Amino acid sequence: MNSTDNQSIRKAFGETLFKLAQTNSNIYVVSMDLKSSLHLNDFAKKFPHRFIECGIAENNAAAVAAGLAKTGKTVFLCSFACFSPAINWAVIRQSICYNNLNVKIVGSHAGLMTADLGATHQILEDVALMSALPNMEVFAPVDAYETQKITTVLSRSRRPAYLRLVRPDTPIINNFKNTFTIGKSQIIKKGKDITIIGYGPILHQALLAQEQLSLSKPNISLEIINCSSIKPLDFNTITKSLKKTGRLICLEDHQQNGGLGSIVATQILNSKLRPKFIHLSVNNQFGQSAKNYLELYDHYGLGVKNLIAAAKKLK
Amino acid sequence: MFQFGSPLDYLKKDLRLDLLDMIYQSGSGHIGGSLSSLDVLISVYHSDIFDFTKDHFVLSAGHLACGLYTVLASKNYFPKSKFSTYTSFNSILQGHIYAGVPGVEYSSGSLGQGLSFATGLALGDPKHTTICLTSDGEHQEGQVWEAAMFANKYKLGNLINIVDCNSFQIDGSTDDIMPLKNLAAKYIQFGWTVFTVDGHDINQLVKILKQSRKNIDYPICIIAKTILGKGISFMENNYKYHDIKNLDQKSYLQAKDELNR
Repeated sequence: MNSTDNQSIRKAFGETLFKLAQTNSNIYVVSMDLKSSLHLNDFAKKFPHRFIECGIAENNAAAVAAGLAKTGKTVFLCSFACFSPAINWAVIRQSICYNNLNVKIVGSHAGLMTADLGATHQILEDVALMSALPNMEVFAPVDAYETQKITTVLSRSRRPAYLRLVRPDTPIINNFKNTFTIGKSQIIKKGKDITIIGYGPILHQALLAQEQLSLSKPNISLEIINCSSIKPLDFNTITKSLKKTGRLICLEDHQQNGGLGSIVATQILNSKLRPKFIHLSVNNQFGQSAKNYLELYDHYGLGVKNLIAAAKKLK
Repeated sequence: MFQFGSPLDYLKKDLRLDLLDMIYQSGSGHIGGSLSSLDVLISVYHSDIFDFTKDHFVLSAGHLACGLYTVLASKNYFPKSKFSTYTSFNSILQGHIYAGVPGVEYSSGSLGQGLSFATGLALGDPKHTTICLTSDGEHQEGQVWEAAMFANKYKLGNLINIVDCNSFQIDGSTDDIMPLKNLAAKYIQFGWTVFTVDGHDINQLVKILKQSRKNIDYPICIIAKTILGKGISFMENNYKYHDIKNLDQKSYLQAKDELNR
């Protein structure tokens, strides 16, 4: 895959929601001055009465969204993840989760992929924040195709949810024919030696590592699982894979504490499985600016070379 | 003790007695603000201006729960026998207001969020009125002012925010903790229509609520000037009674006696 194959996850979200809103008049957007960034200009233009602009006020926006949801609307609360859910987490906790209302929190620009904007915008704690909340479901699409599918599924659900999006255009990984089901993960590459789990477009790094390892001697075969449904998590698929491989690498563009690796480690300790385990994540550090997120992946230990080293260590 | 100008005034005493018993039996509760805001709640629920099968009520200051519980029970949303379960394990009568209680639309407790929620309701249900009850101390939360701006932008003429202005909060007077100065002027600056009223004068409250229901393009703020702990002399204007733990029997009997006078 080269860069010409890359597509925008944010654009896929905005365009899909616009399409869905044409037949579903219940869909509302609550915006916090980032409609262009989330490709919601068409939505705002075509459906001005369903596009609610709150300005730079994330706390108010989250509770406005909850109030709208109480009147029966399906509300998409759209901003950058470093602002929503980071600034308004307590409002999400009480007004959305405790009241159990139909608001989808869409947080774009998550992770080190937001390269040049630096540490303030590279939120690495959002999965931890949102996974901890009762009633909240957490999703992170691997590419633009899966973004379309998850957005469509969420528009039909009545429960609170968090949708984690990224800034750059990223490779298409998903088979377009695949369906998305809440609580199901997908094996995007079958293998037998090591299980790799993760979510979001960082999984492309695992595919690149897999290509190199399959040519190495002795070759190492990776089984790569896309856990785009982080909560509820499909632990069955992970269990089946681990019974075969006995080795696990969790790769995530997120802090180690509270991320997918923490969630899975707890479930593993609750089971009879005892795989060898390496968690490739950001370890108690802030990010920083870079021209290209791949420089950051290398620096923080999330790149292809780190994956290859981890796989060789486990093997 | 209480003015008797309105046919609803008998409720002031009856519901205060319920409230006192509920908190005394439970061993804890936010009694000061519940007593200051009770006459506002009576005016909202017993005046028949609003139809809460369609209109909405949001208690933003969720700690004022037991006041609302007494009013809802007096409107037969649930039986008074539930009062004895207040804050007990498995009871719907939680320490802070909870949407599992019949008649309650919004669970709250963390201050500053309710007015935003109410603006969402008012926007999503433009044909009906949404009333929100906030406290004055709560206005130290910046989110309240985000909501105030928003309600003005969207011309939410079907939104009424009633502020229980008792001038106290948990650690002292609002003037000492963080002065709110002239709340009415602030709301006017934010584009709201403002009324100021004696929050214990049901006749006046009902009159203003009727006026507020008229369809206009501006959200309405009713500043209800109230007295913390209203009706029980030793609790009045004493911030130590923001909430109480294990009220002693002597104080309880004195309070009961004063309310019965």
